[in-house]
Amino acid sequence: MKCPKCMRPVDHEAESCYSCGYSEKESAKKFGSNQVVLSRVHDAAHCLRKQEKDVLNSAIDQLELKFPQMLFCAYLGTLPEGLNMSELGFWLLNHGQVKGAEYARPNENAILVILDMNTKQVGISLGYFAESLITEEDSYRALMKARPNLLNGEYGEAIETIFRRLCKVLEKKGKKMRKLSHEELQAQSKALNENTLDLPEHFAPMLGRKRRLRAV
Amino acid sequence: MRPLFTAFSLTLLTAGGFAADIDMPEWGSSSDSEGYALGGGLWPAGLLPDGAPEAEEGEATTAVAETPTNPDGSPLTFYGPLTTTDAGSTAVGNNTGDAGEIVDQPAQAPPVEALPPIEGELRNVYFGYPPVDYLIDPQRLLTEQKSNDIKRFLEFHSDESDFKIYVMVIGETQAIPDDIDLQKIHKEWFSDQNTVLMVYHREHPDLTEFVYNENVRSALPKSVFDRIRQNCLREGAATDLAPDQVEKMAIELSIQLYWLWRLMAAEGAEAKAISEAESVYDLPASADAPELLREYAPSIFLEESSRRAISILITIAVILACLVLVAFVGWIVIWLRGLDRIGGGPLIFPSFEPVTRLGGEFSGGGFVSMSFDINDTSSHSS
Repeated sequence: MKCPKCMRPVDHEAESCYSCGYSEKESAKKFGSNQVVLSRVHDAAHCLRKQEKDVLNSAIDQLELKFPQMLFCAYLGTLPEGLNMSELGFWLLNHGQVKGAEYARPNENAILVILDMNTKQVGISLGYFAESLITEEDSYRALMKARPNLLNGEYGEAIETIFRRLCKVLEKKGKKMRKLSHEELQAQSKALNENTLDLPEHFAPMLGRKRRLRAV
Repeated sequence: MRPLFTAFSLTLLTAGGFAADIDMPEWGSSSDSEGYALGGGLWPAGLLPDGAPEAEEGEATTAVAETPTNPDGSPLTFYGPLTTTDAGSTAVGNNTGDAGEIVDQPAQAPPVEALPPIEGELRNVYFGYPPVDYLIDPQRLLTEQKSNDIKRFLEFHSDESDFKIYVMVIGETQAIPDDIDLQKIHKEWFSDQNTVLMVYHREHPDLTEFVYNENVRSALPKSVFDRIRQNCLREGAATDLAPDQVEKMAIELSIQLYWLWRLMAAEGAEAKAISEAESVYDLPASADAPELLREYAPSIFLEESSRRAISILITIAVILACLVLVAFVGWIVIWLRGLDRIGGGPLIFPSFEPVTRLGGEFSGGGFVSMSFDINDTSSHSS
């Protein structure tokens, strides 16, 4: 896991980033501590036509039927300079409330696609549960798949492509998990919550430890 | 003194020589040749180069030149190359013309020998009972040495081959009796084994008949047997002498029968497997036999090079087909993978208790982004 602000690795249970000290409190200071209401396709930038929005909504309906736990939502906006998309995603998932989302679809199961029309960037923010199912590589591939549509200005189709691609990943993941036993699933979830840092390996301390072990 | 003595001596010797009267023979005189005969009188007059005038005059030893006869008085049969003089006497080699010059006469037709028709006892000898020998020549129309050679060859062939060959020799003026059916005779004699009966007319190979078993006849088309006959007749026509003709035709027939047997084996149902398993090309064959097989059984006589070319073509075709199939399957897989079609029933994931991070209740800040600005090359940040 990485800090939304400085992109440094963060511990799973860390209350704040070890590098920059960023936390939810800091984001609340920046964006506000109140709850905001979002629609599933929140077009703050007004770049989607009604027809595109309808098509996208019907596609999301289909996907939600297939995955009753998952929450699919999109935010299209023109972000001011200095506003980080990852920070916005972090804040929206923790402070946003999607209209029409059932109790079975909490924000931790959300897949939020954010489009910044100002910087021409697209991003995917994931809740805790979605994060455990979708890797960064899968997310990046989904974005790459939608790149042609984005370049052509077909934002509705691009968002739909991203969601469909991620659903393929979820489908594969679900098929794999069906084959696992209960114990294996418990072990997997425990592994996800382990208190480990995604730090790169450092060879020097390892060598030192080996030497020490040999000395002992 | 000495020169005078020498001249005197020479004069005396010369005078003695002239005085002596020696009788010398006169070669040009015809009166002294009456009692002289070339060869001491042992050669027939007809064989002498200059004997014709003497024979006409009847002054030479004509008794020696008479036609040789058998001890019983019948004329001796001679089957070699014969020429005939104008006077009707048989001669070998050159003959004298009317003007007394030696003239090369062109080879003339052999004398028609008065052979008896095949009837009565002779007919019984030919067709009365199955032959015990592979060469049926009761009239001894072939020379003894050649007959033995041909018999030995036919015996050897019969030991080695599934087809047996019987050669029946009759005279050129003789004919098979009308009431004799060779096919019927063949069936009576050789019904239990594959046999070819070759009826040869002396020095007339074109009249030769070949009689096969009925099952052999029915197994292959008529053109096959016509081809065999043609090849045998061609071999027979290569020489003029009857024994040589029989020998050559028998050898050619033996070769052709070998290939006929191969052809029959190839025509059968089992033989297709045999022909595929065996290699025909390693076997020795006459130049004509392969043509025969090539015409009627091309599948067993493919050239090695053409077979290799065909196998290469088939291999290339199979490889291409496999590549096309793999490409097609790959394209289908890619197409299916490209489809973001989500089907089937709802998928429920097992829930677990997440551990919060950075104080976030629902999200810990997991984020992936990409730029879709056409001028921006840095696309990935997380």
